[in-house]
Amino acid sequence: MIEVITGNEKILSAYRLEGSGCSLPAGQVGGDFFEFISCDKRTVFAVIGDVMGKGFHAARLMETIRHMLRECIRVNPHPLEVVRRLNKVGGYELRKCGAFATLCLLCYDGITGRLSCVNAGHHPPILLSDGEVKVVRCRGVALGLLEDYLGSGVEEFSLAAGDAVVLYTDGLVEACGPGEQRYGQERLREIVRLQYGAGADRMKKNILSDLETFTRGFPQKDDVTLVVMKVTGKAGERVGD
Amino acid sequence: MEIRVRQQKGMAILEVEGELDFSNVDQLQQEIQRRPEEVVEIDLQGLRFIDSSGVGMLLSQARHFFSQGRTLKIVNIPDLIREDLEVIGFFQVLEVLKTNPNA
Repeated sequence: MIEVITGNEKILSAYRLEGSGCSLPAGQVGGDFFEFISCDKRTVFAVIGDVMGKGFHAARLMETIRHMLRECIRVNPHPLEVVRRLNKVGGYELRKCGAFATLCLLCYDGITGRLSCVNAGHHPPILLSDGEVKVVRCRGVALGLLEDYLGSGVEEFSLAAGDAVVLYTDGLVEACGPGEQRYGQERLREIVRLQYGAGADRMKKNILSDLETFTRGFPQKDDVTLVVMKVTGKAGERVGD
Repeated sequence: MEIRVRQQKGMAILEVEGELDFSNVDQLQQEIQRRPEEVVEIDLQGLRFIDSSGVGMLLSQARHFFSQGRTLKIVNIPDLIREDLEVIGFFQVLEVLKTNPNA
């Protein structure tokens, strides 16, 4: 896996997959985060999350959750077990501070082309396949709100070459322009649909550019984080890292 | 944010108007905590925005109320805010806490 990190941006290239993500804090250090985590020679995790609150406090909790997430993947990489365990250990830390965190975990198998998704109170990802968009259905309660994770389980998809997945935080769809109207799910789905054929980094840049057109530089209340992953080769092809 | 308090049949109704966020969440929390009634209703009809701090505070107060055998109701939630709360699992948590405040 090759990961290039520049400021608040990361670009991933591995397992017939390209990924591009960035996090734009609203004014100060925020609680949004995203990660690409390599598990073995065929599996990569993409995670996006949002820790409640703002500033140093949220940023510190966010770092704790990120660290625990890696540890949970190391102990048992099954996606549902990762989220269950993270809710146990991370949820304890969050509850101590009266906080919670939303998180969406994707696990991509480069050999089979299968994508697994587990959700803990986060906006579900958008899939782009053959020019059509589809919103993933899996749901769950945010980390730290209940002692035991409660959710709809693992949702699985088979991805083909050219298919893409978009992860985002609430700051994107709740962004406002000079009026009170939100950027919203509908506009996001439409701009994602128009990106069919583009690479992951280009998709990310085009979505952020559309957001900027909408908000017209109006200052935002919340961080905006966006991650795009795109399959670049056919499943079954030899995987290199 | 503006909070109007009404009393009705032994119940307190707190009408919240404006934006509930990190900067003013303590104000509503204190208002909820100082109510002695068995049932307190938070009316969100006039709420235009709520951030995660507001959501966390409402759930933690609900947990506290249920553990005391009291009731905290959250009513008249505007549609856009209801959608955001559904994503987090807010209503699922309230349902669980009603039967088990220690969950």
